[in-house]
Amino acid sequence: MTGLVGRGVERVDGRAKVTGAARYAADNEVSGVLHGALVSSTVARGEITELDPSAALASPGVVAVYTHQNLPRLTVPPDFPYPKSFVPLQDARIHHNGQPVAYVVAETLEQAQEAATLVRVRYRAERPTAHLVDALDEAFLPDEFRGRPNEHVRGDAAATLDQAEVRIEREYTSPTQHHNPIEPHTTTAVWNGNSLVLHESAQGVVLARKIVADAFAAFDPRPDVRVVSRYLGGGFGAKGPTWPHTLLTAAVARQARRPVRLVLTRAQMFTMTGHRAEYRRSLRLGATRTGRLTAVVDTSTAQLSRTEHSIFNSSDSTLHLYACPNVHVRQLGVRLDLPTSSYMRSPETTAHFGLETAMDELSYEVGIDPVELRVRNLNPRLPYRGKHLLECYRLAGRAFGWARRDPRPGSMCEGEEHVGWGMATELHTYNANASTAELVVGMDGRATLRTASQDIGTGTYTVVTQVVADGLGLPLDHVTTLLGDTAFPAASISAGSSTIPSVIGPVSQAARGARDAVVAIAVADPRSPLHGVPAGDVVTEHGYLFARGDRDRRDTYRAVLSRHGRPVELTGSTRNTPGHTFGAVFVEVRVRRRLGSVRVSRVVAAYDPGRVLNHRTARGQVIGGVAWGIGFALMEHTVVDPNTARVVNPNLSTYLVPVCADVPPVEAIFVDRPDPSSNALDARGFGETPGTGVPAAIGNAIFHATGRRLRDVPFTQDRLL
Amino acid sequence: MTADRVPERSTHPRRAVLKSTAAGAAAVAHLASVATATATPTNPVAAGEPVEIGLSVNGRRHRLVVEPRVTLLDALRERLGLTGTKKGCDRGECGACTVLADGDRITSCLTLAVMRQDAEITTVEGLARGEELHPVQEAFVRHDAFQCGGCTPGQIMSAVACIDEGHTGSETEIREWMSGNLCRCAAYQNIVAAVADAAKELR
Repeated sequence: MTGLVGRGVERVDGRAKVTGAARYAADNEVSGVLHGALVSSTVARGEITELDPSAALASPGVVAVYTHQNLPRLTVPPDFPYPKSFVPLQDARIHHNGQPVAYVVAETLEQAQEAATLVRVRYRAERPTAHLVDALDEAFLPDEFRGRPNEHVRGDAAATLDQAEVRIEREYTSPTQHHNPIEPHTTTAVWNGNSLVLHESAQGVVLARKIVADAFAAFDPRPDVRVVSRYLGGGFGAKGPTWPHTLLTAAVARQARRPVRLVLTRAQMFTMTGHRAEYRRSLRLGATRTGRLTAVVDTSTAQLSRTEHSIFNSSDSTLHLYACPNVHVRQLGVRLDLPTSSYMRSPETTAHFGLETAMDELSYEVGIDPVELRVRNLNPRLPYRGKHLLECYRLAGRAFGWARRDPRPGSMCEGEEHVGWGMATELHTYNANASTAELVVGMDGRATLRTASQDIGTGTYTVVTQVVADGLGLPLDHVTTLLGDTAFPAASISAGSSTIPSVIGPVSQAARGARDAVVAIAVADPRSPLHGVPAGDVVTEHGYLFARGDRDRRDTYRAVLSRHGRPVELTGSTRNTPGHTFGAVFVEVRVRRRLGSVRVSRVVAAYDPGRVLNHRTARGQVIGGVAWGIGFALMEHTVVDPNTARVVNPNLSTYLVPVCADVPPVEAIFVDRPDPSSNALDARGFGETPGTGVPAAIGNAIFHATGRRLRDVPFTQDRLL
Repeated sequence: MTADRVPERSTHPRRAVLKSTAAGAAAVAHLASVATATATPTNPVAAGEPVEIGLSVNGRRHRLVVEPRVTLLDALRERLGLTGTKKGCDRGECGACTVLADGDRITSCLTLAVMRQDAEITTVEGLARGEELHPVQEAFVRHDAFQCGGCTPGQIMSAVACIDEGHTGSETEIREWMSGNLCRCAAYQNIVAAVADAAKELR
């Protein structure tokens, strides 16, 4: 142990990222690669009646045009994370606007893009239904998804609600949103005989390999698939599933007998790679005059597609956060002629926005401070240890200056601006997945760690390197971490804040095992100065092995391994359990009196993620997550035309995401106490926790500033005029 | 494709701006000569037909044959193998493809390669001096001004120009003048800190 874990060390991949040396999936040089371009449907529902590729085929540089008429039949991968129930380019049926209908491959990118415009497609179109509000009477309770039912009943919520002293009955809505990572989805498929290598923008290489292998299950022989994703230019959930374009690129490259690269256009990312579904949420809270919750009825209605019915934004906060004996949660869905939805960063946010806004409304109804109201209702059986959430309220509230708040709406004004303060609890449910890490300490005394998990920007390369260096007692720069390749031992997808809780246990286990093995070799070797020292009395630091109490008796990793004559190899594969991470966020907003424009001017947030393994990367998740909360609250909104069911703002000039000027400095505070129930060196999953409460906190602050209660995000300027 | 070393290369940002003024004048002159050339029937180039062009990138002169519709971004990435510059939207909306042309920040996805034959193009690969990082690159690492890195090359090129333009007088000013580069990981406050820090060193 050298104290490296916990320190905010700089990212080990920093240099590669600031010099342009980091090779993302579309950056790999592949000789003879063809460029792909997709043609997508211009209707949302119906059938292709005519598809004529002749003009495209005659266009210069075009090698082939693949459609449902000439592409071999693929198997629909049966399991998530293949989120769709069909594979496009397999039949003439159209399920949503923007569905791929033809795949052009050409020698250059420009030739492929031009030829894609020349593919002539005619449809028999049916009238689509695109808006939730137009089909609410068709809402139904979908089957459970990934083992999670869509209805939960505790006690008798309806009867209790009727008799409640105080009732809050409100509707909250949130629109369709898109992930929009800066790096577009990209796939490069390279076949060599029956072996397929995919350079893929993937948050989970192991699951991507499974999905692609499943798609080719009917082929004889079944191909060997390797998926490589060393760097990812942002995912946020969009690259967790494997989407059809990946399967199609693999199929097309096999047919063309040439490597093929596809980079989706920004517009295609609005129809082909998932989104956060539109939601309506009816919340009915019953409480006593002293603010104790007696009943919660939470009925949400999500937009589903015509072909899938998975609910991705579950009501975890209603179920777990507050003590309430009577709860009825129903997660309904409505089938619409829209693309498939999926997970998007902090899936709890939709549910949490409703609950944490309703709690603020209740706080005004009963005249109790919003923090105190939450403290009174905190679930004593929360599946986490101690009272660290209370500590989060206390730390963040104090740093924010919450005690000075006059709760009366409109009580703070500065010049032309109404100023308001609001807060909310943050909550996220994280996963833990089976993972294996393999560590090799070479004869040069340097260590290489391989595991098929990923660094999607969250800092896995850095934290894993810290843990290995710390466990072995090596300097950081003597450790190389290799991720994102199915050639390495299988490991967790990087989604649902699962990477650290899944991977760190195995990495630490391998590092400590390798350290012990090297120490054993040294003390057994008559040529070592440590010969005969009890293994328990050997300390390892900075590449040295010392005898405790006699630092002059020392050896080096390099010398021990070089005398040993072969590397030391260890694997780790301990399992961890899923859990929850909590926090509290306090925001200040400023609303321009005459313009209605909202600016978030200050944010303080505190979290209990267990032990913080790297303060620098953990803080990165806070400032990023808070910005996502600002986007959710104030701007993000995918607009779908009701007649064509087409996204009308599939670009970054009309789908607004926060820019530098939109995001104020965020103060991040960590309780930083080890959670011994997590075997990831006492750290819990954290990344998606920040931001979950921010939209509610902003709405609550707007109410405090103006007395206007907004229940529909985004809180655009027109709603405050 | 040949790559010849250009003997003199200005890397000092303020000098680069002075140079760009001169280059701007040269470009006007060049446009005039192109107009004359296309009017002359002895040098006909059919629309869309590949043309041989020259590009100066990071101090090296390259000759390449591209169709006139090829963007500077695709010329860098797909023809010259300079994949440090990223394609985020291909519509000039995200800033990931930002490069310097004679010291000015431009979106290379909205620029045709043929348009910039007389400019000195600097990409993220051209900032470091061997092992020694450019002060902006160093500041980005020091302040953790990125996460996934997808926008980072564009942010860094934009930051170099932002400092050079003198738009770093306050954090508010930096936020405004760096708002053309989206960071979906939203490392914004660290980007602001990095730009402010690097500006102290460079100005």
